[in-house]
Amino acid sequence: MKPLAEQNHYEILETHVSATREDIERAYRLSLTTYADDSLAGYSVLEAGDAAALRERIEVAFRVLSDARLRREYDATLSLAPREELPAEEPSAPLVPVEANADADRFAHVLDGFAREDDESGEFDGERLRHFRIRSGMEIDDIARVTKISPSYLRFIESERFADLPAAVYVRGFVTAYANCVGLDGKEVAASYMKRFEQGRSERRRGRFFESR
Amino acid sequence: MRVDGGVSDTLDKLAVRLRDERSGARRARLIAVGGGKGGVGKSFVVANLAASLARSGQRVIAVDGDLEGANLHTCVGVTKPRASLADFVAQREEDLGKLILDTPIPNLRLIAAIGANLAAAQPSQARRVQLMRELRELDADFVFLDLGAGTHAAVMDYFMIGDDGVVVIAPEPTSVENAYGFVRAAFYRRLRLAIASHDVRKLVTTAMDQRNERGIRTPLELLREIEALDPAEGARFVETMSAFRPRLVINGVRTAEDIKLGFSIQSVCRKFFGLDADYLGYVNHDESARHSVRARRPLIDVYPRSDAAIYFSRIARKLAAETGAGEAVEPLP
Repeated sequence: MKPLAEQNHYEILETHVSATREDIERAYRLSLTTYADDSLAGYSVLEAGDAAALRERIEVAFRVLSDARLRREYDATLSLAPREELPAEEPSAPLVPVEANADADRFAHVLDGFAREDDESGEFDGERLRHFRIRSGMEIDDIARVTKISPSYLRFIESERFADLPAAVYVRGFVTAYANCVGLDGKEVAASYMKRFEQGRSERRRGRFFESR
Repeated sequence: MRVDGGVSDTLDKLAVRLRDERSGARRARLIAVGGGKGGVGKSFVVANLAASLARSGQRVIAVDGDLEGANLHTCVGVTKPRASLADFVAQREEDLGKLILDTPIPNLRLIAAIGANLAAAQPSQARRVQLMRELRELDADFVFLDLGAGTHAAVMDYFMIGDDGVVVIAPEPTSVENAYGFVRAAFYRRLRLAIASHDVRKLVTTAMDQRNERGIRTPLELLREIEALDPAEGARFVETMSAFRPRLVINGVRTAEDIKLGFSIQSVCRKFFGLDADYLGYVNHDESARHSVRARRPLIDVYPRSDAAIYFSRIARKLAAETGAGEAVEPLP
């Protein structure tokens, strides 16, 4: 166990040298939550200044590890063997979490472990999606940031406000991205959700038709 | 007898020996459940994990270790226990096995704690030793021990004989604070056993007093002090540290933030205490929980399809899987 002052960037973020960029981002977000000034987990243990000092270390660690070039240089100073599989130079592309790397960090590992045990077949309605999202530890805004889908659409998907959603082709894309994001099989989930969506819309159309007569 | 807690050290040593003793045949896995604070749902968690394992075919005994606030019997649907741990404490009964009661749930049995003499609820030292021995001898696959609130010596002794020590935490400041206190108390007790040098033991005892003059706040700071005093003891300290692995359950989560709390506490334990906690799982806040307590039955039994029941069975499966694979759990990276 090393004192904080001697911990390297990976130890500060509580991730590991072969972490992918997403792992690092996830670890970073979790550390920021943990060491926020009003953090539930921290306030009774940390003393004035502890959290701020740590957050500074966290920011530096993230700045270095989230930049492929800086990270390589940093790894060299740690005299690490070069990673077999460098997380390529793709980082500017939007991050679309994949369900691979379940073991990648303990956060993903445990939560994915929890989710894996759930039955992932059957019908997916908005409520069930919401459950999986909460289980995966993500907020609407996290998904919005990753998928670039507006938070209100994500909420409409969860609350099944079909009338407020755009055309089916978009919704299918949204649901697929959402599902992938929370560690589900996007294609399968979208197929199931879209049945409800089409049905919901057609019922509504019929309703309108009868009303107009 | 030494001044620095000789009696309870003897007990502690016994506790650890009992824990490590393998008495021939397959022995029950003893899971002690504490948490420092009252009202965080320890009994609720014990009742449901026990019921969940029982449903999956494991033979389970749930023991109410809270002689001053017994209520586990109610949680598992036993209205008026006709026998209780209090009989053992008061030496009316010598055989703990005879105090086991059936519950409405198949495979789940109970040792209640109701009816203690409140003037002398806690067993004497000698009786406590016997009790711990008997607990280890119970014939079952799993024995759950529901501990009282606080970090009283008796509570910590029971926590220490467990193969697993589970800490139940509610996502609220008071509970989190007490949980840290609980983890720290458990760790220091274990530590005092590992340390041989008298001076270092005195230092550990000093550190257990949180407002100590030396300003030792966390195990990590204590380690630095010990290393300065005696490097060999420092090594033993590190060894004890890495073997100590409290397991966290967050009860009553409402948001994703609450779920993350377990990871955050893990992080704080690691960074500021140098301790590796294991996040065993969480249980959501569920209206059916309140109804099940009203119905005086485990939630898992009354509302097996509720979310909370699903979370419980998930934790139970995890525990059962570990037993199949031996007692050591692979630490997460």
